[in-house]
Amino acid sequence: MSVLYVLIPLGLVLLGLAVWAFFWAVGSGQFDDMDTPAWRVVMDDDRAPPERDEKKEDER
Amino acid sequence: MADARSCFHCGLPVPAGLDLTARIDGEDRPMCCHGCKAVAELIGASGFDAYYRFRELPPGEAPAPPPGDDDHWRGFDDPETLPLFAATRADGRIEAVLHVEGLYCSACSWLLENVLRRLPGVDEITVNTASSRLHVIWRPADTRFSAILGTIERLGYRPHPQSLTESFSPRHRERRQALKRLLVAGVGMMQVMMFAVGLYAGAFQGIDPEMRRFLVWVSALVTTPVVFYAGRPFFQSAWRGLRSGRPGMDLPVSIAVGGAYAASLYAAVAGHGEVYFDSATMFVFFLSLGRFLEMSARHGATERSAAIGQLLPDTVRRIADGSDGGEEIIAVARLRAGDRFVLRPGERVPADARILRGQASMDESLITGESDPVPRAPGDEVTAGSINLDGALTLAAERVGQDTMLASISRLLERAQAERPAVAVLADRVASWFVVAVIAIAATVGTAWWWIEPGVAFPAALAVLVVTCPCALSLATPAALAAANTALADRGILVTRSRALEGLASFDRIVFDKTGTLTRGRPELERVLPLSGDIDTERCLTIAARLESGSEHALARAFPRRGDTPADLRPVPGRGIEGTVDGEHYRIGSAEFVGEEAAGAALARMAPGPASTVVFLGDANGRVLAAFELRDALRDDAAEVVRTLSDAGIATAIASGDRPGTVQDIAGRLGIDDARGGLRAEDKLAWVRQLQASGEKVALVGDGINDAPVLAGADVSIAMGAGTTLAQSSADAVLLGDSLAPLLEAVDLSRRTRRIIRQNIGWAIGYNVLAVPLAASAALAPWMAAIGMSASSLLVVLNALRLRRGGAAARVRGTSVEATNVPSPGVLEASS
Repeated sequence: MSVLYVLIPLGLVLLGLAVWAFFWAVGSGQFDDMDTPAWRVVMDDDRAPPERDEKKEDER
Repeated sequence: MADARSCFHCGLPVPAGLDLTARIDGEDRPMCCHGCKAVAELIGASGFDAYYRFRELPPGEAPAPPPGDDDHWRGFDDPETLPLFAATRADGRIEAVLHVEGLYCSACSWLLENVLRRLPGVDEITVNTASSRLHVIWRPADTRFSAILGTIERLGYRPHPQSLTESFSPRHRERRQALKRLLVAGVGMMQVMMFAVGLYAGAFQGIDPEMRRFLVWVSALVTTPVVFYAGRPFFQSAWRGLRSGRPGMDLPVSIAVGGAYAASLYAAVAGHGEVYFDSATMFVFFLSLGRFLEMSARHGATERSAAIGQLLPDTVRRIADGSDGGEEIIAVARLRAGDRFVLRPGERVPADARILRGQASMDESLITGESDPVPRAPGDEVTAGSINLDGALTLAAERVGQDTMLASISRLLERAQAERPAVAVLADRVASWFVVAVIAIAATVGTAWWWIEPGVAFPAALAVLVVTCPCALSLATPAALAAANTALADRGILVTRSRALEGLASFDRIVFDKTGTLTRGRPELERVLPLSGDIDTERCLTIAARLESGSEHALARAFPRRGDTPADLRPVPGRGIEGTVDGEHYRIGSAEFVGEEAAGAALARMAPGPASTVVFLGDANGRVLAAFELRDALRDDAAEVVRTLSDAGIATAIASGDRPGTVQDIAGRLGIDDARGGLRAEDKLAWVRQLQASGEKVALVGDGINDAPVLAGADVSIAMGAGTTLAQSSADAVLLGDSLAPLLEAVDLSRRTRRIIRQNIGWAIGYNVLAVPLAASAALAPWMAAIGMSASSLLVVLNALRLRRGGAAARVRGTSVEATNVPSPGVLEASS
């Protein structure tokens, strides 16, 4: 049981780190918009580069 | 989503006889106007077709085709103006925050980010869909602010530069602060609960006194920031209440948290006695959670309903001081009282001002709600936000910025919005006194047992404290409200005040405004009747369209856009427009304007519906060439919505400012029993009051700002999203789409919410009534109490979350409404 005397303070230190990290994340605006980032990944640019489209425009 | 007849870009119906297409994703798509076509082609040509696959809602009516240059934004490049809206960074780059109108979904933000990133000189760009804000950093050497603004505008959005003080709003700060507090409370609570389990177990099975003291001190260590950091708002608010002599609901909360913390700390120092750190942290966490959810809902609502700046133009043509009288385009923020400026037809008045020269019809509907144009002459005062319909004016600004009438109206509305919903207030108050009662009961139980049997005094008092943890009660309402708000937002209904949910669940009469609510709110071209043998329908329409393309009048928007605007266009206020098309002089407008006699005969032949407006096209000799019948069509789903509501036993009514005949006609079509026309805003309000006095609960659906006082007077008010922005902010809820059907879902969902709140409160009361006597009689061990309390809280939250899950079923019902609706049958009238 005496291991608890080490593990609990260790847990508290980790907790402190987690809280610090969260504060940093909030401060840098990571939680300001909860909707857009979820979509950004699906809307990755899988289209052909625009040069091709422009060329098509020219041909017309 | 877009059927063959609606514009692929904006979703509006394509006017009959118009054949415009744009090539998107390899297919020709119908377009309703050249503006949409230009925007769609720009999107397509840039390789951003994916936008159409990902967007959630059509962006609404696209603005007129933007001029190819960024001239009218030039004012923002001015070295004096730029610092008001943009900050220069240490590395010489410039950053600015813009509010972007028309930004509805993530696809919009994707489009904006990707297109703007291609501008040379733009380094960083982020778009926040939730708050419609765009943050951009650019190198002034390579691009100009006006180029960025112009590009956004050409994509079909309306950028509004935000002044630097506005851009980082207090709401932002409040949210970040609340998130941090919530996290500290949550993490702290989990830790302390963990230690508490050890202590409870130890109380039963025996524990090494050293270990017990260690756990108690560790709990104290973790609880301290929870109480003093996360719980600080409660103490501050309680203290403010005390000082002002009006103790608020945070006082009992503070006593409970502070008392539990102090008593536990004393017990820890003394080395004996019970500690209640777990109860204290849990209480702080659950209260913070409830308040955070509620705050999010409130912020979401206010951010969407726009700031006053959106209703005003961003730039103004000021007449330079000095004798030469040259014009310069400056940002409205730089306009000062006393400045003279020029207003062209179609522009909005940027400040309360007095007319110096010129006369015009003004559309003052934003302030007065009167949709008919008002003639204004030199010496008259015009209010900010009115639209100059047809004259060139020179004005002197009298009140600018925050002093305008528009600003004061919006301040009033903002203040009204800051109020807390009644249910939440009630729940908090009940929960707070509940806490005090619990502490009192616990003390009484402890003292009583102390006299009877000292051994069980502490466990019994503790069991009372723990088993009755008020979370179930204080969570019951906020959890259900938050879940309901989210569910409603998913369906395109924005709740701006929580009273909307109570109101929507319990009204027994619904009063609709007509124009823009039951009808689409804009005249549509119904019929073209050529009256002269040698010119066919198409030709008449083309001539009319080109003449009307130079007008901002509501009726003009009913005509398709075709060809160029004639150069010599001359609007005649209140009557019509004349100009030269292909070398011939034409007039379009009222019968008197075009040629009374011939027009009268045409009118008799045409026999327009009771609600139609007829516009005539004539040539220079007074010959009438064609008559155009315009009407404001019913919304497709209006009939279905009215029928469903009547079936549910709700009385329906129309209150409108339009002619009684027109209103009766619509009421007949929709099966509405009570219809009143010719009402002004105060008449509507009086009628609503009268209905309320007879014991009815009245819901009001409206759209104009003239409805604002009526909206506020009704028991619950709903605004159409396409309506005036200010009306939205005074309404309890806003239908974001251009459809009435979500109203039915809102009613359904709020009824379910009310049921769930009742179940939750019923459960919380029942549970406590049962558990307290058990705990007081020392029949419950503290650990049993802890489990009972946790299970009870969980049950309440899960019950509330059912509201979000019901979405699929509701959505199916919603689409069936759209599928079964009758194609719009009615001849309705154009309000202007």
